[in-house]
Amino acid sequence: MNVDQELVRRVQAGDKKAFDLLIMKYQQRIIHVITGFVHDPVEAMDVAQEAFIKAYRALPGFRGDSAFYTWLYRIAINTSKNYLTAASRRPPVSDVDAMDATIYYDAPELKEFETPESSLMSDDLQQAIHDAIQELPEDTATAIKLREFEGLSYEEIAQAMDCPIGTVRSRIFRAREAIDKQVKAVMGGEEL
Amino acid sequence: MTIKQQELLSAFVDGELNEQELDELLALMKSDDSAKQDYMRYQFSSDLLHGYVTEHKQIDLTDRIQQALSSDEPGVNVQPTENTQTAKVFALPDWFWKQTAGLAAAASIGALAVVGLMSQPQTVMPTTNMAQSEPMQQQTQVADSNRWTVGESEVEDRLNDYLVDHNEYAGASGLFSYARVVSYGEE
Repeated sequence: MNVDQELVRRVQAGDKKAFDLLIMKYQQRIIHVITGFVHDPVEAMDVAQEAFIKAYRALPGFRGDSAFYTWLYRIAINTSKNYLTAASRRPPVSDVDAMDATIYYDAPELKEFETPESSLMSDDLQQAIHDAIQELPEDTATAIKLREFEGLSYEEIAQAMDCPIGTVRSRIFRAREAIDKQVKAVMGGEEL
Repeated sequence: MTIKQQELLSAFVDGELNEQELDELLALMKSDDSAKQDYMRYQFSSDLLHGYVTEHKQIDLTDRIQQALSSDEPGVNVQPTENTQTAKVFALPDWFWKQTAGLAAAASIGALAVVGLMSQPQTVMPTTNMAQSEPMQQQTQVADSNRWTVGESEVEDRLNDYLVDHNEYAGASGLFSYARVVSYGEE
């Protein structure tokens, strides 16, 4: 079963909670995409919110010809471009260069924007994740690597590791718990 | 939260649920607040591994989006069962209708021109060799599609692109909200 498709069907049938799940699943990815255009984090969140609202309004017409995320991604890109176009018509209110809008609007590829602090945090987090995976039992580490880095389905992992799908599910869950602990430690015990 | 329930949340991150498990998950999300927090942790771990995390902190837009949707006009909410949208009629001044009628006519002509161009027959000129082997025969390939037939994926994609763009830009202006309901097919 395609879980996204099923959630879309349920939203179309009036289940708002199903849309919550789609938001939770894709919000970080969508914000990441939008940050390529709108590099102020607060504005990026506003644009992301608008993109999700547009998606919700357009969902009755979504027929599933493409994957839900592909469709959502396009909405996010269009919303970002609209935002930049609108922003370029307004006088700059802070240190944002008005020319940025034109530059990024026409940019052939998305760009990453990182402050030194966020870059440092990113390095620490990468190290923490690496350490967490290193410390896992071999079977658990293999399962999470096959899932997250190789993109294998649970069934494929079960075949590769010669174990039941339930065991794969359990190993991946334990790996995520371990990674989460390390990440929390790096982020100063912030509640996620 | 039991371990089994937490495993369910983790499996949702990977889209590895069957229909019954999805029902369980939705029920769990509705009944247990900690389920959402746990799911967000697992999703965050996965997003971190994929490099999708920009701000290095957990972000949750669900409440503000639901709040925005709740305070929105009722007409934009997803209809529970059928794709029936009811237009609201407001009393607007005559000059507005004259202007919009003019714009709508221009947009319709533009749309017809685009559709007309897409359905133009594509003639393939014969090469010299082909002309030698079949001297009296012009090879003409005419697109099979009718302009209103959207069964063909290329035409459908282009129409879809056109409508998505139209909805994005026209709908965003706030002036012509009716433009959002533009569609094709038998929805």
